[in-house]
Amino acid sequence: MIKELFTNDYGPDGFRTCSVTGMRIDRTAENFVKIFGLTAVVALVMGGISAILVVLTRWEVVGLLPPDAFYNWLSVHAWNLLIFWMVFMEVAILYVGGPMVLGRKLPAPKLAMVGYVLMLVSAIGINWSIMTTSAPDQAPLLTSYAPLPSSEWFYLSAIVFILGTVIAALPFFAAIWQEKIEHPNRSLPLVAFGAFITAIIAVEALLGGLITYIPTYMWRIGLIEHIDAAWYRQMYWIIGHGSQQINLAAMVTVWYFLTHVVGGAEVVSEKVSRSAFILYLFFINMGAAHHLMADPALAASWKVWNTSYAAYGAVLASMIHAFAIPAGLEAGRRKRGAGKSLFGWLWSAPWGNPVFSAVIFSIILFGFMGGITGVLMGQMQLNLAWHNTWATVGHFHATVVLGTTMTFMGLVFFVIQTMFKKELIMAPLARIQPWFYSGFMALATLMMMYLGILYGIPRRHASVMDIPGTDFNFGAAEPLFVIFGIAALLAIVGGILFAGISVGSLLFGKKLEPSSVFRPAASWTGDGSAVHLQSMRGTFTFTLIFLAVFVIAYILNWYLLSRLWEIG
Amino acid sequence: MSSPIHSPQGNWWIAGVSVLEKTWIRISVVWCLILFASMIVWASYGKQNQHGPTYRVSTSEYIQKVQDFKKAGTQTEEGIIPADEHIYVAAARFSFDGFPVVLKAGKQYQVHMSSYDVQHGLSIRPEHALSKQMSLQLLPGYEWVLPMKFDEPGVYHVVCNEFCGVGHSTMHGSFIVQR
Ligand SMILES: [Cu+2]
Repeated sequence: MIKELFTNDYGPDGFRTCSVTGMRIDRTAENFVKIFGLTAVVALVMGGISAILVVLTRWEVVGLLPPDAFYNWLSVHAWNLLIFWMVFMEVAILYVGGPMVLGRKLPAPKLAMVGYVLMLVSAIGINWSIMTTSAPDQAPLLTSYAPLPSSEWFYLSAIVFILGTVIAALPFFAAIWQEKIEHPNRSLPLVAFGAFITAIIAVEALLGGLITYIPTYMWRIGLIEHIDAAWYRQMYWIIGHGSQQINLAAMVTVWYFLTHVVGGAEVVSEKVSRSAFILYLFFINMGAAHHLMADPALAASWKVWNTSYAAYGAVLASMIHAFAIPAGLEAGRRKRGAGKSLFGWLWSAPWGNPVFSAVIFSIILFGFMGGITGVLMGQMQLNLAWHNTWATVGHFHATVVLGTTMTFMGLVFFVIQTMFKKELIMAPLARIQPWFYSGFMALATLMMMYLGILYGIPRRHASVMDIPGTDFNFGAAEPLFVIFGIAALLAIVGGILFAGISVGSLLFGKKLEPSSVFRPAASWTGDGSAVHLQSMRGTFTFTLIFLAVFVIAYILNWYLLSRLWEIG
Repeated sequence: MSSPIHSPQGNWWIAGVSVLEKTWIRISVVWCLILFASMIVWASYGKQNQHGPTYRVSTSEYIQKVQDFKKAGTQTEEGIIPADEHIYVAAARFSFDGFPVVLKAGKQYQVHMSSYDVQHGLSIRPEHALSKQMSLQLLPGYEWVLPMKFDEPGVYHVVCNEFCGVGHSTMHGSFIVQR
């Protein structure tokens, strides 16, 4: 049965042609995509289990776990969902965006295997070291802020995981290299280009991780006597935030890919979309500085320059993609006569297909909830009111869950149908899964933001309803916690639905001919007119609504800040 | 068809760009410049800016500074009334040192902050309005001095909102701001 999952009708040269995308797919590349993807789903399940425990603890009506267990499970939650689920998926995305899109063999498959094994072993090592945390070590959470010590095995496993990821990325770079040698004058397809930018950002982040974790490991085992907290924060955030920028770039790349193959989107301007990726390359890395806005030891000019120069170069890029991707869908569909009215192109889209709905919801929710809040908390002074509150947790649930996780869920559904060629089981449930999951997750996320901003609820606390030794507590926030708790549990039900449908389809799904579900890309023929001359007024309307919400949220946050006491 | 999974044909750099797309990019550029400018404008004219000098300090030096501050101040039932405008507070696992401090509303103080051991948070809010909250990061080895002026009297509660170990949610301190 396992073997059956890794078979497909390859020709004698080891290639097959995908009936949906038209891509020439190499057997080795496809099998690695499947292996990395399946491992990612295992990490997602692990993270989901921990999510149940975390939610039921923070919702203090239940108050499930004692503090020490809570922090361990919170760490498991963070590492499996923010790192392992994402990074395993991202390696799979690199192999799709490189060898598959280019129609090449996966170069150096042995390196891919070595990378995979190192990543797997170290991911297990990190989980194990977290679960067995004992004094004086503390749960690392995501950040393992030195000089608070965590298990030495944790740091060592983190180093190995980073090395494994770099090794796993090498076959991708080799494929791009071979392509450029063979066709020096041919531009990479946009998806391959996006994957290439993602991979460069990834290597930057991973190198930052080595600079952070190697000295920290040496400090933990006693080779170095002192570790400076401010130094650690600077170095850590190269990977801490950098890894999330990998998620962003990978997600945007997948948006271009899936809106095209599922919805018939085209690229309205290669120049604009590629320039936006280039902006990411140059500007997004320093956006990590927004974690240091409430720090001592850094000058205001450092803070303003690094968040502004960097963040706004990258914000601009995201705003460009925010137009280009829906515009691609709109123009591509209009060109083929799908919808004449302002939003007809959107209503007529394949909403019953969970791949499509997952992608569209992730674009909308990432932009409105994740993107806007990211800019707000990245403004130096506004950060005072956001720093380390639960609202920051809300922000990254909007980006990483509503954005990246939703997108990757859509991609997993796509891969199950096109690469494993299995029909999704429980079709009606599969159809509503993106609606259910993103709806309740968005509500839970919104509650985290409200609880953080309106009640100042701190993040990383097992209990805020009772602070020993004082009458003060955060009891006033209890009603919102009720909404949070229920919404979060329902979102987890949506997550269970995803895992159940995915695993169930692989094991019990009927054999499927993918082009019966997805319209083959070759059949998307239009009236032959240029795509940039199509109307994009629907998209323009959406982006204006987006801007209005952005401006209102922005003004509101400055107003709230202005009501605080004087500082500085 | 301009597909994202095929190499673009011809010279794509000179291909046309939709008018609406160009308009949106212009709007975005202007908006990003406003975002940039507002931080600089607020740094000059706004009243909430986390600027202040940072000094390197050893833990034993800083413990001494907080002890001296407590000794020089007047101990009352409510807390320490500082001798001058300088206030020294510190976070340690799992309590704050130097608190509670009794302050005069409308008077500017120089608040010195540091940690005795690991990273902590200093998150402050008045009891009567939880939404008026502000958070700072405290690092061992660094003494951060920030001027603060509380206009509204009340009890301002301080909690640690950076994870510093299993007991960190028990950390509490307060500024008592009186007329
Ligand atoms: Cu603390």
